[in-house]
Amino acid sequence: MVARRIEKEQKIETPRAAWLVGLAAWAIPGAGHFIQKRWLRGALAGGAVWIVFLTGLWLGGHLYAVSGGQQGFGALLQLLPMIANVGSGLPYVFCWIANIGFAEHAQIVTYEYGNTFLLVAGLLNYLVMLDAFDIAAGRKR
Amino acid sequence: MKHVFWMSVFAALTAVVFGIAAKGTDRQRLIYGLKVFGEFLGIALLLGWILYFIPFR
Repeated sequence: MVARRIEKEQKIETPRAAWLVGLAAWAIPGAGHFIQKRWLRGALAGGAVWIVFLTGLWLGGHLYAVSGGQQGFGALLQLLPMIANVGSGLPYVFCWIANIGFAEHAQIVTYEYGNTFLLVAGLLNYLVMLDAFDIAAGRKR
Repeated sequence: MKHVFWMSVFAALTAVVFGIAAKGTDRQRLIYGLKVFGEFLGIALLLGWILYFIPFR
């Protein structure tokens, strides 16, 4: 009885706005915090993601995408880094539309650095997105 | 030197996000961010020196 009551009390519904904040945070790095007027947090976290992403492109990094030409294991190998890249949000979508950063430049010395920066930019934005979501849901201050 | 520079930039920016996403007071998160930055650099330098002494050729 008591355990059930505690379980019921612990189920806090997530407000709808939190999902929208999460979406905005994914789309534009830092936007999720800005919407909630967390200016410094948004500037630092969003700024860091933007810098990592742009530096990755500048260093000659390569963005991943699963194209129709690959099948089976080859497509799977592209899928995981693509999921990391997609975390960057609209900057990734913009690069995809404009075809920026999808060509491989393995001859550049900083190519691997660029790749790592681009992958980590997406992963960091997932973290920033979750932080903004938690704040909007009231789970974090 | 170029490698150390980019590694430091990477460590600093990642530590900023880790610090922000962490729980606790502002001071605790600042200390955590600095700790992450130090750990990134320390472990990278340590691994670099270990790999230096391993003959690959």
